[in-house]
Amino acid sequence: MTQEISDETLCRRVAAQDEAAFDVLVARHQGRAYRLAWSLLRNAEDARDVSQEAFLRVYRTAGGFRGDARFSTWFYRILVNLCLDHQRRGRWWRRLLLRDDGTGDPDREVLERQPAPVADPGDALGRQQVMARLWAAVDRLSPQQRAAILLHVQEELPTSQIAEVLKCSEATVRVHLHRAVGALRKIVTRD
Amino acid sequence: MHPDTELTGYVTDALPPAGRARVAAHLDACADCRRAVEEGQTILANLAAGVPAPPPIDWGRYRADLSARVQARSRRAWWARPMPAVLAAGVATAVLLLAIHGLDRRPGELAAVEETMLGASLPLLQQYRVVERLDLLEDLEAIRHLDRLGAGGR
Repeated sequence: MTQEISDETLCRRVAAQDEAAFDVLVARHQGRAYRLAWSLLRNAEDARDVSQEAFLRVYRTAGGFRGDARFSTWFYRILVNLCLDHQRRGRWWRRLLLRDDGTGDPDREVLERQPAPVADPGDALGRQQVMARLWAAVDRLSPQQRAAILLHVQEELPTSQIAEVLKCSEATVRVHLHRAVGALRKIVTRD
Repeated sequence: MHPDTELTGYVTDALPPAGRARVAAHLDACADCRRAVEEGQTILANLAAGVPAPPPIDWGRYRADLSARVQARSRRAWWARPMPAVLAAGVATAVLLLAIHGLDRRPGELAAVEETMLGASLPLLQQYRVVERLDLLEDLEAIRHLDRLGAGGR
């Protein structure tokens, strides 16, 4: 049985201009990268572009990967930073062109159009609607809180790894998560 | 006092054992915090169970585009590429030497240029009285042909 080459080894090979190693890394992480970028940006075209840019950064700066963290943590940091930068850059003109509730963004509209949750939580349709409302509420969190929540529930990262990705302390991650959950509770109970 | 931030740490299993035990002891005595923990757990569990899927993507095209972008970055214009340190040091030294050498020669070169300009202006200065009487905007043609004017025009 062939042992799978680790991401960290592949990254070192990319630093030595090994294009085949780069292809393997992309194949391994493209799905998660696109999904996380889409969850943060809620726009398929932007998610595609930003996740590709993250791989380009890996290709160019693989030599800077020190190997004292996991490759996935390093890669998530690049990707999340690019997404947050993308949001910061786009915010001023989005405010001008779109209504602040996100109307006009087709990917977001799918979530926002969901009706309010029904009373019976056991009902499958009601459950689906509750989830849709919850995820719509996640979109209204601050970028840092949203990133922390997504890394926790979607990527299942522990707070220590989220702290590495967001380049902050674990205590700060706990504050982000606490405020996010608090805001979601308010939104869900209000709705 | 309610351990607000620690409650989420408790829910996300991010507390060290001592912190977890402290929160657990508080929860035994505080119904409000127990409800907050339950709601937090429900919210996170619902989110984890219903992560929305992004629109499908053509991965073949994605990889082809990425490959093209990698190639495009590799073929960047020579002046946009990072320069090797030795080459950069060489270019910087050459520019510095040229600048120093150029500054040394500058006064002599300037004097030569000034002399040439003065020499070229002499015929015009000889026609000074004609020039003085001209309306500059209307008689540009006359200025251009000063050398053809006779002594009577002076």
